[in-house]
Amino acid sequence: MAKEFEVWAEKYRPKTFDEIINQESVVERVKAFAKSKNIPHMLFAGPPGTGKTTLALVLARELYGEQWRQNVLQLNASDERGIDVIRGQVKEFARTVAIGDVPFKLIILDEADAMTSDAQQALRRMMEMYASVSRFILICNYSSKIIEPIQSRCAVFRFKALDDKHVEEFVDRIVKGEKLKITEDGIKAVVRISEGDLRKAANILQVASALKEKITEDVVYEAASLAKPQEVKQMLELALSGKFMEARKMLEDMIIKKGLAGSDIVVEIHRQIPSLNIDDRAKVELVEKCGEIDFRISEGANELIQLESLLASFLLYAQKGKK
Amino acid sequence: MFAIKYRPKSLKDFVNQKEALAKFLEWYKKWKPGSKAALLYGKPGTGKTCLVEAFANDKNLELIQMNASDIRSKKQIEEVFGHASSVASFFKKGRIFLIDEVDGIAGKEDAGGISAIIEIIKESKHPVVLTANDPYDPKLRYLRLYCELIPFGNIPVWDIEKKLKEICEKEGIEYDKEVLHQLAKRSEGDLRAAINDLETITRGKKKITVKDLDVLGFREREKDMFEALKILFKTSSFNAARLSVADVDLEPENVMWWIEENIANEYEKPEEIARAYEALAKADLFKARIINRNYWKLMRYMNDLMTAGVSLAKNEMYRKFVKYQFPSKIRYLSSSKEEREEEKEKLQKLSKLLNCSTKKVKKEFLPFFKVFEKDKSFQKFIESLSG
Repeated sequence: MAKEFEVWAEKYRPKTFDEIINQESVVERVKAFAKSKNIPHMLFAGPPGTGKTTLALVLARELYGEQWRQNVLQLNASDERGIDVIRGQVKEFARTVAIGDVPFKLIILDEADAMTSDAQQALRRMMEMYASVSRFILICNYSSKIIEPIQSRCAVFRFKALDDKHVEEFVDRIVKGEKLKITEDGIKAVVRISEGDLRKAANILQVASALKEKITEDVVYEAASLAKPQEVKQMLELALSGKFMEARKMLEDMIIKKGLAGSDIVVEIHRQIPSLNIDDRAKVELVEKCGEIDFRISEGANELIQLESLLASFLLYAQKGKK
Repeated sequence: MFAIKYRPKSLKDFVNQKEALAKFLEWYKKWKPGSKAALLYGKPGTGKTCLVEAFANDKNLELIQMNASDIRSKKQIEEVFGHASSVASFFKKGRIFLIDEVDGIAGKEDAGGISAIIEIIKESKHPVVLTANDPYDPKLRYLRLYCELIPFGNIPVWDIEKKLKEICEKEGIEYDKEVLHQLAKRSEGDLRAAINDLETITRGKKKITVKDLDVLGFREREKDMFEALKILFKTSSFNAARLSVADVDLEPENVMWWIEENIANEYEKPEEIARAYEALAKADLFKARIINRNYWKLMRYMNDLMTAGVSLAKNEMYRKFVKYQFPSKIRYLSSSKEEREEEKEKLQKLSKLLNCSTKKVKKEFLPFFKVFEKDKSFQKFIESLSG
């Protein structure tokens, strides 16, 4: 009987305050709030994979114990369709009183910086309306993307970027916990690739361990390459040889069938530009176009149409006579 | 009206949808209070409501029917069904509830409509049947959990022809075989549409010929779009291009996909293709702004860009015949709807499990999961998500 599959990023997510790596000052203050069983609205800001969601969940467990799930509403701004949906869920959730001896419920709103400023205004009103029965923890990468009035209503906590030493500490936990065979170089590679993001570190490690029994530097890089869209280079070559319809078909497959995110594909296209066999001035033009497309996608434009127009501009630099 | 006059009164007259009928009977046999409702779905005019009516008639059941789009609130459903479910009928042996066109329920005004239907399903002492054209509409997500889905296929041309023939004979109408064939074909599997068309062309006549077909307007919307594309791609006039799609009965977004599909079919020079796509992409950007800020005024710019912008991207008109294509994107999206819904559900569960957004799951976890595909315990893990 094979043992149960677990995602390491979740399995090794810290369950207590003390397990959280290198955010002592933030953790200390939140811990004090938890002890008094009274917390303000909070804003957690910091780079990905540094423990923001983890701290929110640890706090929830600390406040409500076993019954934390009934008392916590976890939302993701980038998933919920608009502020009305969020308002509906919050309203429904805040209707009933908290179970246990804490007088409020907890609403964790992840990726709050994905919200438009109009939506954030509505959120601000909600925070006021339900302040007597609930507390909000807003989580974001950049606090600058959160409107002033919300920031002023929250205790703001900044999570530090993690350096190599701290990522290594986390990697070590997993290596010990899973009894992995990994070389010194392997560990270094994991640390380098994860760029301070512990979720990434756990993922790469788990994939590397599935690829080979013994994890070396090469295995780690092989694992990391899996996360990149593989077909982008081939697609660009098709466009540059004038075969637009074929390139377009590949793009459609990537986005519609494989569900890859448009903005990831743009980034990968940008990464490929330096090594393309075209005039250097053309490269500058294409980079500008990449940036424009990436920006439009962030504004909510359709990924497929935008990327198709990017592909079409590669046609302009197709080698002559190779139609 | 023919369509009403010739509705099957009994399942004996119900020639089509054998599979759906079998499934329905099976569901009915097993039904007991608390069971799932039956959700009959398929294109219009494929016999969903007819089947329930004929069945109720055969079994001497009292059919209590409501159109979902008439439902405005929970209270209203309860008034009709709640009352009916408590008072016994003197003349009929049992009851069956029918709620038609549940996908017609609009989001906001019908607040509570869907949850009221779910309540009815859960509490009803009598079987509940729902019908829909599109059961995978996101707003029916929760409702689906309480339903057994029974698909209705399109009715074959041959069977439609037979039914038309039967009506003509009963009405004493002389007909050209070709007319009935054409009527059946153009209905695209929609029996009701075919019968309505027949009625239109026979009005006041005792004999129908192929010539009579001319009075019928096209029901196929695509036909118009092909014409519009021809104008859009061939003209070099700003105004003609703008107006080319004005009469097309399609959502602007779909029109956009039609244009997208055919840019590289029409244009050959790289700079033309690039210009056309840029115009289309800018139109799309306006669409995003319209949606984000609810600012419909911008619609005019979007329309001009995607029509005139694409039209004037060419250096000069191509004097060639182009067979314009149906958008591959729309085709793909409609054929894979079910899979994508399942996929989405899995993503949402993963997002809960991994405490991050579906976007992050897609970006940071899914590419890695490929490695584990052969792993037994991983397969189990994924299966447990769809369960």
